[in-house]
Amino acid sequence: MKKVYISILCTLLMHVWVASSWAGESSLHKWSQKEIEILKGLHMGSLPPLRKDPSNRYDQVPEAIALGRKFFFENRFSGNKKVSCATCHPENMNFADNLPLAHGMGTTSRRTMPLQGVAYSPWLFWDGRKDSTWSQALGPIESPVEHGFTRTQIAVVVIRFYSDEYEKVFGPLPEIDIDKLPLQAKPSPDEPGPLKAWVTLPEETREAINRIYVNVGKAIGAFVRTIMPTPSRFDRYVQAIIDGDVKQAESILNENEVRGLRLFIGKAKCINCHNGPMLTDYDFHAIGVPDAEGLPPDNGRAEGIPKVLNDEFNCLSPYSDAKPRQCRTLRFMSTDVVKYRRAFKTPTLRNVAERPPYMHAGQFATLHDVLHFYRDMPEEKRPPDLAHGNLTDDELVYLEEFLKTLSAPLEYFKE
Amino acid sequence: MKKTLYILLVFLFLGGCVTTPERQSVAKDEHKEKFTKHYKSSMFKVTEKGLYSVELVLKSGELKKGANEVNLIIHDNKDRDVVDAEITIQPWMPEMGHGIDIEPVIEEKGGGLYHVSNLVLTMGGHWELRVGITKAGVSDMAVFDFPRVGGMKMKHRHVKRPDKIDISTVQVSENRTYKVSYIPEITPVRINTIHSWTVKITDSKGNPVTGARIAVEADMPEHGHGLPTAPEVVEELPGGEYIIDGMKFQMPGWWVVKLHISSPVGKDTVTFQLDISR
Repeated sequence: MKKVYISILCTLLMHVWVASSWAGESSLHKWSQKEIEILKGLHMGSLPPLRKDPSNRYDQVPEAIALGRKFFFENRFSGNKKVSCATCHPENMNFADNLPLAHGMGTTSRRTMPLQGVAYSPWLFWDGRKDSTWSQALGPIESPVEHGFTRTQIAVVVIRFYSDEYEKVFGPLPEIDIDKLPLQAKPSPDEPGPLKAWVTLPEETREAINRIYVNVGKAIGAFVRTIMPTPSRFDRYVQAIIDGDVKQAESILNENEVRGLRLFIGKAKCINCHNGPMLTDYDFHAIGVPDAEGLPPDNGRAEGIPKVLNDEFNCLSPYSDAKPRQCRTLRFMSTDVVKYRRAFKTPTLRNVAERPPYMHAGQFATLHDVLHFYRDMPEEKRPPDLAHGNLTDDELVYLEEFLKTLSAPLEYFKE
Repeated sequence: MKKTLYILLVFLFLGGCVTTPERQSVAKDEHKEKFTKHYKSSMFKVTEKGLYSVELVLKSGELKKGANEVNLIIHDNKDRDVVDAEITIQPWMPEMGHGIDIEPVIEEKGGGLYHVSNLVLTMGGHWELRVGITKAGVSDMAVFDFPRVGGMKMKHRHVKRPDKIDISTVQVSENRTYKVSYIPEITPVRINTIHSWTVKITDSKGNPVTGARIAVEADMPEHGHGLPTAPEVVEELPGGEYIIDGMKFQMPGWWVVKLHISSPVGKDTVTFQLDISR
């Protein structure tokens, strides 16, 4: 009798063991309430309605957006008449050029950032040296390696070719005798010639040129803020899970992709930084990416902090339409340059598989390389946020499979 | 019957084995076996060519910005004291690609002990100490890594989340000087959203506290990082209320917010905890 009990007990134990090891397969799509909360946080459904940019009164003005789109593709806004915003942000490539380093009139020292959902980002560029899309748009125009242009030349092109459209949005153009303007004039501390030409212009002329320049930026910024991601397979999967439709969920993501998702929100701890519906915390992190070959060390955010504080077009500047109390991001910014040395902005992971190479200077060619970099980082160099557990090679493959489910076409103002 | 039982037991045993593969892959460090660590509080490294072991003892317990004092205890690979060696020590910032020009003073004390003073670090950040050892014309080097020197608060690094978190928005300060409550501008508090807190402070008798200064410190004890912002009081309202603006939490999870309050009533700290889901 005793024997029978033992045998029954053993059979039961075995059933429990077999069930628990096989349950992994069938319950892959079963998520706990806590996990569903996390998934909801990453789901596009939790993207809050877009608020107007208080620093740009033309934001969400249809005519400004349409004009901004034209400016975005305008090759005449460059020293060689061949470079526009779209050179590095090509429309047919989700607005990212997929080069290790952006290339305009010359080659920059960082890679092009993605534009989808940029309206939600409090900081622009890898080092956050700009705090609005309109002031961001003005940076590359005067960079010798990007548009290689000047604000004075912008004013001339606008007056010559866009006067009607400009005036419809921004009101009358100022009286400037464009034939008498020195074209190579801009307040660039690195270029003594154009700097001298700029500071010797009468103050009213400088102010008039700045106004046109800023309005060009505000139009471009308004257009760029329309570029949004659309729900990806991942979002459809989470929606099915929220709806309790496991069958539907199973048909959207395969098992490896779901294993990757489980790692993403669990063991691999990717959501420490890649959180929220845009899969970014919008903060800056020093993760120890090696400098790109042939480039000097890049201090990232530590140098972006003084730049954005000093920026002539920041939220608190006279060119911003925001009231000081609306400039919270800038006013309460952390200025800890030790913490932020060599830190770079967490990029969105939406469409990440569509835009190799990776990191701020395209140091890694593939997602495979990125995932191996995170895993193989020496323990003593690993910041606490980057503790990833002992991920196996298979697990890295699952993560990569999952990242590919974040791709989806973009939505933006077209005509 | 017996047979079945045996088969079942074997099965269970196998199952147990299969689920613990980690045990079989214990990392082996071949160098370490030839060397002995003699001091409990030292950092221990074997040199790159495997000729020496270096033990590094920091006099102040941690490397800091400014002048440091360090003891180096050097043994060879047969655990003999290394005397009469030529020792160099170079502080180096690997990401910045520079060291410092200030020469440290190195004194041999005998028995393999070398005392280093005037080891000056000019700034906080990631430093390496590169210790060079030359004896009988052969050189070797050990590199000690200090990822965060100065500036970073390390005290909370990797604190495990307690089972229960008191998320009440009303708390009494550590020394019972104040009773403090807060109302966030957004409820529930969401990640990545800059917002303000309205904080009400009363003394132990329930009277509102006016004219207080408040410093905000926030931390994720499990991760050792603070806020991405620097919040501050922007306005004092009547009735002991203060608006703290610039609060922003960039990660879901357990957050600890401390308000350091000083007023004519006294100086004290109140701690709030938050559990932010998304």
